[in-house]
Amino acid sequence: MAKSAGVPLIVTRELRKVFRSAKRSPGPLGALRGLFAPVYEDRVAVAGVSMEIERGELVGYIGPNGAGKSTTIKMLTGILVPSGGELAVAGIVPHRKRRENARNIGVVFGQRTQLYWDLPLVDSFELLRAIYGIPADRYRRSLDAFVELLEMGDFLRTPVRQLSLGQRMRGDFAAAMLHEPPILYLDEPTIGLDVVAKEAIRTFVERVNREQGTTVILTTHDLADVERLCRRIVLIDRGRIIFDGPIDRIKNEYGRERTLVVRFTEPTSAPAIPGARLEASDGITARFVFDRASQRADRLVREVSERYSVEDIAIEEPELEGIIRHIYTQGYTGEVRSA
Amino acid sequence: MTALAPYVEYARKAFAREATYRIELLAEIGSLALRVYLLRALWTALYTHNVAPMGLPLHSMITYATVAMLMSLVLEVDGTRVIREKLREGGIAVDLMKPIVVPFAYFSDGVGQTLVHALAILPSLLISLMLVRIDVPPAATLVVFFFSFALGYGVNFFVNFLLNGIAFWTLETFGLQLIVRWISDLLSGQILPLAFFPGWLGRAVFALPFAAIYSTPLLVFIGIIPPRQWATALAIQGAWLAATAAASYLLWRAAARRIVVQGG
Repeated sequence: MAKSAGVPLIVTRELRKVFRSAKRSPGPLGALRGLFAPVYEDRVAVAGVSMEIERGELVGYIGPNGAGKSTTIKMLTGILVPSGGELAVAGIVPHRKRRENARNIGVVFGQRTQLYWDLPLVDSFELLRAIYGIPADRYRRSLDAFVELLEMGDFLRTPVRQLSLGQRMRGDFAAAMLHEPPILYLDEPTIGLDVVAKEAIRTFVERVNREQGTTVILTTHDLADVERLCRRIVLIDRGRIIFDGPIDRIKNEYGRERTLVVRFTEPTSAPAIPGARLEASDGITARFVFDRASQRADRLVREVSERYSVEDIAIEEPELEGIIRHIYTQGYTGEVRSA
Repeated sequence: MTALAPYVEYARKAFAREATYRIELLAEIGSLALRVYLLRALWTALYTHNVAPMGLPLHSMITYATVAMLMSLVLEVDGTRVIREKLREGGIAVDLMKPIVVPFAYFSDGVGQTLVHALAILPSLLISLMLVRIDVPPAATLVVFFFSFALGYGVNFFVNFLLNGIAFWTLETFGLQLIVRWISDLLSGQILPLAFFPGWLGRAVFALPFAAIYSTPLLVFIGIIPPRQWATALAIQGAWLAATAAASYLLWRAAARRIVVQGG
């Protein structure tokens, strides 16, 4: 735990990680050549990440595949040694005091389980009780709470290999939170889950954050998770932070464009409205993009209904997903941090 | 003792997990009697056409081979297999995120696995001993044998740990595993008494850590190592245990600094 209240719970400064790997030469003799005269290749996974996360925050840490998200998380958990820069988690340098740091964190990997595959779910919880030295009464209390909250009563004594993915993930969440850590790292926690299971997980994360004040770092490709849970996002690309701030800000910057979707009563070729750009049209339905700062939606609606015979009109707000997709492909041009 | 609690629990969970593989255990129990019987037949046939090599009478040889086989049922439970799997599948990352000494946890897991197999073979052990009569040594010798066996168990674990530890660098050790396993079986005295090795090789094999695994406890059992040499024999085993444990510790420290967790 951090000693003083003024210091952010998690601090990284110019954090770097470079992986060195032996390069494989092609051809049948390549492997042999690699054995005697290895050629090394450096790959920069994290190229100077500085961020501060306060106690009780719920931060979405997002970026395309290979951006360096998992590498950062692994350094924060102390299992990877940074190549440069500084970091402190609750006042501890994780890789120097891996075990001490481990007491402060809970981790959930969507693609990997920490549960014993062949044993009933509850056996994994018992092992964790011993690992963290949780007193019997506190263990009983937390377990009961989790069983209720995550509805695990029906499968607590079922071998993990027989559980559905949704059940297994609930078990993994309970396992990560059993010792009530102040920090929770989530790596793709909803991957492969159906909508109901996703919602159960999101509600759980929301509750532990709100009720226990658990600081959560969420890494995911499912931006609906982020939109639902996080106020702040840190966007990383090619090992660097390209945006760090409230979701609202990125939505405002990129979300100035709205889409006016018009459905005509009869086939209409090349429809046009002043002040809006035709994005797509199939004759019956047309999509117009306009800037909400310079154009008023009601004027455009009036304009289009005067010119054409219209059956239906809708205005679409931009989704975080679309914005992020745009940033991944076009690059981000705004300010990294708000002043 | 609370510091030990997590590791005791690791052993208990490994025990429970291993006990779920019922078919595997049954097959092992079933094959034991057969293997013991075949060993006796083999050595008896070999002895009928040759004079007793090294002056080792047939009944001593059969005792040696039978006890070696029984020991192997416990020693071949590869408690370090878990390291290899965790490295390949990246599960080691999850373990490293726990406040535990990871190699110690794996050792405890190995002990739990061993206990399951040791208990499971008890009934067929009795049957085997009825099929093949072995020389049962005096109680004092038995006590020293079990002590020596425990030291050998430790050496075996750390030799395997070192071997699997290479996976930290190569991530794949299966081929190497096979070669070393074979060499280890041969040089540890599991298949043949080490005294059968000729000349310089015969002297060299006693200077390797493998001899501490099978040969020393077995030679105590059949009385080739007499009581006055017990202390020396156990001391040498203890030294190998310390050396392999220290090497494992150094390897783990070096590996922990360069862990590349698969994926991500």
